[in-house]
Amino acid sequence: MTALPWVDIVGYWIGIFLTICCLSFLYKDNPFYKLAEHLFIGVSVGYLIVLQYGDNIEPKVVGAVFRGEADGGWWVLRLVALVLVLMMFVKVVVPRWSWLGRYPLAFVVAFYAGLQINAVAQAELGAQIKFSAGNIDAVKVDLNTAPVDALIALPGSSGLVATKLVAERAQRPFVSVDDAVTRPSLTDLERADLAGARGNLIGLDAKAAVGPGQHDAFGIVSNLLLLAGLLSSLVYFYFSIAHRGVIGGVSRFGVWVLMIGFGASFGLTVQGRISLAIGRAYDVLGRTVDPADADRIHGPVVAVVSIALIAAGIALWERRARRDAGDQAGSRGQS
Amino acid sequence: MSAEHWSAKLQRFDRRWIFLVMAVAVVVPLFVPLGLPARPDPMTKAAFNAVEALPSCGPDDVPPKCARVFVSIDLDPASTPEIEPFYRAVVLHLKRKNAKLVFATTWYQAPPLVDRYLRETIEAAIAPAGTDGYDGAADRPYRKGIDYVNLGFRDGKGAIIQAFGSDLRGAFDHRADDGTRLDRIAMLDGVNKLSDFDLIVLVSAGNPGAKEYVQYVGTRNKLPMIAACTAVSTTDLAPYYQTGQLIGLVAGMAGSAGYETLVGKPGAGTAGADVLNIGNLVVIAAIVFGNVVFFAGRRYQRRGRTS
Amino acid sequence: MKKTVPLFIGIAFGCFAVAEFYIPHHHVGALSNEFRQWAAILAASAFILGGVNILQVTWPQIRRREPDWRYKVVLLVSAAIMLLVGLPWHKLGSPAKTPTVERAATADAELAARGKAAITVVVDDDVTFMIAGKSAAGTGRPVVTEVDPGEVEVKLSRRVAGYRPLTAKVTVAAGERATVHGDPPMIWGRDGRVFVWIYDHIFSPANATMFALLAFFVASAAFRAFRARNVEAALLLAAAIFMMLGRAPLGRAISDVLPDVAQWLLDVPSNGGRRAIMMGAAIGAIATGLRVILGIERSHLGSDS
Repeated sequence: MTALPWVDIVGYWIGIFLTICCLSFLYKDNPFYKLAEHLFIGVSVGYLIVLQYGDNIEPKVVGAVFRGEADGGWWVLRLVALVLVLMMFVKVVVPRWSWLGRYPLAFVVAFYAGLQINAVAQAELGAQIKFSAGNIDAVKVDLNTAPVDALIALPGSSGLVATKLVAERAQRPFVSVDDAVTRPSLTDLERADLAGARGNLIGLDAKAAVGPGQHDAFGIVSNLLLLAGLLSSLVYFYFSIAHRGVIGGVSRFGVWVLMIGFGASFGLTVQGRISLAIGRAYDVLGRTVDPADADRIHGPVVAVVSIALIAAGIALWERRARRDAGDQAGSRGQS
Repeated sequence: MSAEHWSAKLQRFDRRWIFLVMAVAVVVPLFVPLGLPARPDPMTKAAFNAVEALPSCGPDDVPPKCARVFVSIDLDPASTPEIEPFYRAVVLHLKRKNAKLVFATTWYQAPPLVDRYLRETIEAAIAPAGTDGYDGAADRPYRKGIDYVNLGFRDGKGAIIQAFGSDLRGAFDHRADDGTRLDRIAMLDGVNKLSDFDLIVLVSAGNPGAKEYVQYVGTRNKLPMIAACTAVSTTDLAPYYQTGQLIGLVAGMAGSAGYETLVGKPGAGTAGADVLNIGNLVVIAAIVFGNVVFFAGRRYQRRGRTS
Repeated sequence: MKKTVPLFIGIAFGCFAVAEFYIPHHHVGALSNEFRQWAAILAASAFILGGVNILQVTWPQIRRREPDWRYKVVLLVSAAIMLLVGLPWHKLGSPAKTPTVERAATADAELAARGKAAITVVVDDDVTFMIAGKSAAGTGRPVVTEVDPGEVEVKLSRRVAGYRPLTAKVTVAAGERATVHGDPPMIWGRDGRVFVWIYDHIFSPANATMFALLAFFVASAAFRAFRARNVEAALLLAAAIFMMLGRAPLGRAISDVLPDVAQWLLDVPSNGGRRAIMMGAAIGAIATGLRVILGIERSHLGSDS
């Protein structure tokens, strides 16, 4: 691979410096953070305009209308879109005619509302109700007769394991789950994966069995809880009747279910946020570039120098601010 | 005058010390890793199995012998730590099968990232023969217009995603990102909408993303879709996985690490998930300690009122 | 004109958007696709309008020397630079270059005997070349590669973005020697060198770090705000702790049960509650959508004052 050009090495230094500038906000709002923030906003504005024009307006409007690239006669209708765009921009030029901007806005809001009605009705209502109204029963997968797809979905299984199990049962049917997971054609790693997934509650023993018609008791309880959680949460959101008595009790259970859900969401949010910080640390330490490039960039050194510079800058800024405040207090005292 | 209770002092604790502890918790494990293995969860395994079930073919074969996969890369620089590792792992997985890949994005922040990913992972081999720490099949550099196409970026949220589902060529104005007319690209013969693909892979950081694909086009056309999402979006998308509207869901950095483990090439996801352990412990400790302080203060106040 | 026409526009296009889902006729589908293109065009235009608006708001603040006006200058200057470098200036110059190919006057008998041809590539050391699928870095000196006779594609590129790759298709017979020279030119515009450089080294780190700040604030909030004041709050915090432990590798190291508990929490209570919220939100979205389409909801059209 060719060496990274020096311009890009300087670019990485600037990126690290800007990272530390942004992180300095954790100490307090300061000039370095403000500089980074405004630089970012300015670059974003320019970037956005270039990209939206080049990737959307240019091919869909300029190309279709002025270079004849639209299908058939559709370029005529595209002229209407151009007129709507111009109406949107009129208020920038002539504020008195800003009401013209309502035409494209009316189209966009109503059209998206119409699209969304069908989309959510099907995906959020229809599909969810269909699933919720499904079978509560949880039948264990029969290792001797289940298709490959069902075997793949078992804990600890994979496509290859499922194929081997199908071949093994054709030679000699399984007599137990223990028998199935110790067959000779499975590799040691596959056996270890299956052994690690054993468990009577939600592991392999809960989901699979030998022989038809066996039920996963915990699975049935979970399905019942899932349905109960859904219905009680819906009761909680129904405010047209007072939440008292039985309704109040069901609503309270619904709140508990929602709280567990929000807690799960919060836990995942924390993980997500920490991942963002890990990503920055990786970039600054040069772990996301080729090792040869990282050796030339010297990310950790640049980070330490940036921290020192910014810390010194903030210290000077605070001293000047205190001095100015002291001067002002002094002059007020004298007058 | 009574002395201030320790809990009151701690409740006024300067939060910048907490920031410092968090910074140490993120940086130190990068130098002293715990090295704990990342195990894939069932949703990640389902996503892996969906890709694994695609047919394999030779480098010069064409669809339908080869799988045709649509990859929507909808992310920004902020979300790359969580879902870029999944992208790299799934692309290696797809390239091992010589699947034909069609890329697109609906996020305005993504195009330069997509260009970089194509240079680094599609036009170059991710894991050529002899790669250290990798025992799987090697992949090869892909050829533009033969093995992959980049359609580019289009804005429009749900409307444009719905357009992908009914008229993909029209949505991209009949041209690829480099200006090539789509009707001149042989690997797109017979492809007019998303249902013409064997699998749809969504690398989704938010809105528009996996949710909009499910709502506007996936459910209607019963599309086989797997998605990688940020950890924040997991609880929003998990119901879709449960109903089968998504056939696999790779959630956050931990999910990406699990996918890397399944593909056999640990990378940034696995290393990052290791660092995640300490960060999680810091937050858990903060919650527990904060509650200890709170309840101690409350008990002290109650004792003060009753005495 | 000011309110009635927009209302009718909303009713017409809103009803069409709902109805087209149920009408399989191809003309309706084609018209619907065209309207989706309009929506995409207007969405893109709205972003541009927003950008112009920021610039419109910032300029008076600089003129009036409001607090932090110097930072606003930075904002305007950086936006202007990004706009300028985003223009395709390279298209004003000479047309796109191709690599030059020189052929040796006489054939190489030794090569011919082996049934091979040779292609020599002379490029700078920051240029990568690919011959017949194999890539190598340039060295500034001639690099000879033996190939099978026939048409051979030689591609020259740079590893960083912003340079147009050059491709030459060289047909060589057995024993023939050809030399390829080239220098991938720098381009401007959305894929240009400077534009992508600014994206990679200013936009990207700043964007990522702004969001990374949240990690620190969430830790601070965890200590200062998250109190198990009642049963519901305690359930929330317990679920959060189980999820954090279960989803990280540490959870499995502590106990094999933790990841299973985390997955169960996600599959059962979380999905149950989330599904209820989803359904409620869907009903709300349908109701609001109908109100907009039928013209009952008009707040998006603004007031006449």
